[in-house]
Amino acid sequence: MKGPVLLVEDDPSDARLIQRAFGKMDSSVAIFRLTNGDEVVSYLSGEQPFDNRNAYPLPCVVLLDIKLPRRSGFEVLEWIRRHPSALNRLPIIMLTSSRHSVDINRAYDLGANSYLAKPDTVPQLEQMASEFQRYWLSFNESPDLHGSPNQLRRS
Amino acid sequence: MSDRSLPSILMVEDEASDAILLLRGFEKAGVLNPITHLKNGDEALAYLAGIGQYVDRSKYPLPVLILLDLKLPGMSGLQLLQWLRTQREIRRIPVVVLTLDRSPSSINAAYDLGANSYLVKPGDPVEIAKVIEAIQRYWIELNEPPPLVMGAKNDPG
Repeated sequence: MKGPVLLVEDDPSDARLIQRAFGKMDSSVAIFRLTNGDEVVSYLSGEQPFDNRNAYPLPCVVLLDIKLPRRSGFEVLEWIRRHPSALNRLPIIMLTSSRHSVDINRAYDLGANSYLAKPDTVPQLEQMASEFQRYWLSFNESPDLHGSPNQLRRS
Repeated sequence: MSDRSLPSILMVEDEASDAILLLRGFEKAGVLNPITHLKNGDEALAYLAGIGQYVDRSKYPLPVLILLDLKLPGMSGLQLLQWLRTQREIRRIPVVVLTLDRSPSSINAAYDLGANSYLVKPGDPVEIAKVIEAIQRYWIELNEPPPLVMGAKNDPG
């Protein structure tokens, strides 16, 4: 049983559009939305109000905006990749309106698995949601987030 | 027919029969990007570093995506990945592991060393074509590649 897709998006109208696009797909995987960087850290750490792992299971993949209140997407990404547990393998896909080279480079340097630019139209967003789910939820092999942490990760 | 103006995909695969199936998959999926096929890790390292016979980048351009088998003669796929991620300019090139190996320890190790994604190669040609099509649609059409690599798209700066 795969964990949910964690969507981290502060803009309510963007979040609604993305969730609607994902909802169109016939997927057994839930999408769970958080609105700021601190919430992601609490969720992944299993801190209150997310301390019940049955209700808030570890996600299989995170869709992470860059511009977020409190901790930015980059800070969240860095926090996850430096985590002392196997959680640091969690696949992270940036989903942002920025197409700037500096942001793209920084995301890859901090260990983002992929970088997606938010599409301009709803049909394009639906297309993206469909490709995203097909790729990450059915083709890609997920790492084990519960096992022993690695000794290998590049710093 | 491939289009030389599009960024290339580097495929590192030692098994000739697997390589043929993958190349056929690319054709079937209508991938126009040129495919560079190399048969071992040492050759891939030379290509990516631009050394030896691969010094001419206009002839041997940096790929926009690397499809990496793990079991290779000489330098392994994981060793190549580890080397790549320490390099200055090319370290950001997305690497998708594409292998028969579905053991959790290999999957974890690949992510730990900075693989962007991990796919298991199906044995069946029809299924291989589906995987290649998914790779094309996600990594070539949807994903924003690191801009240092030639062929970066939509870069306003």
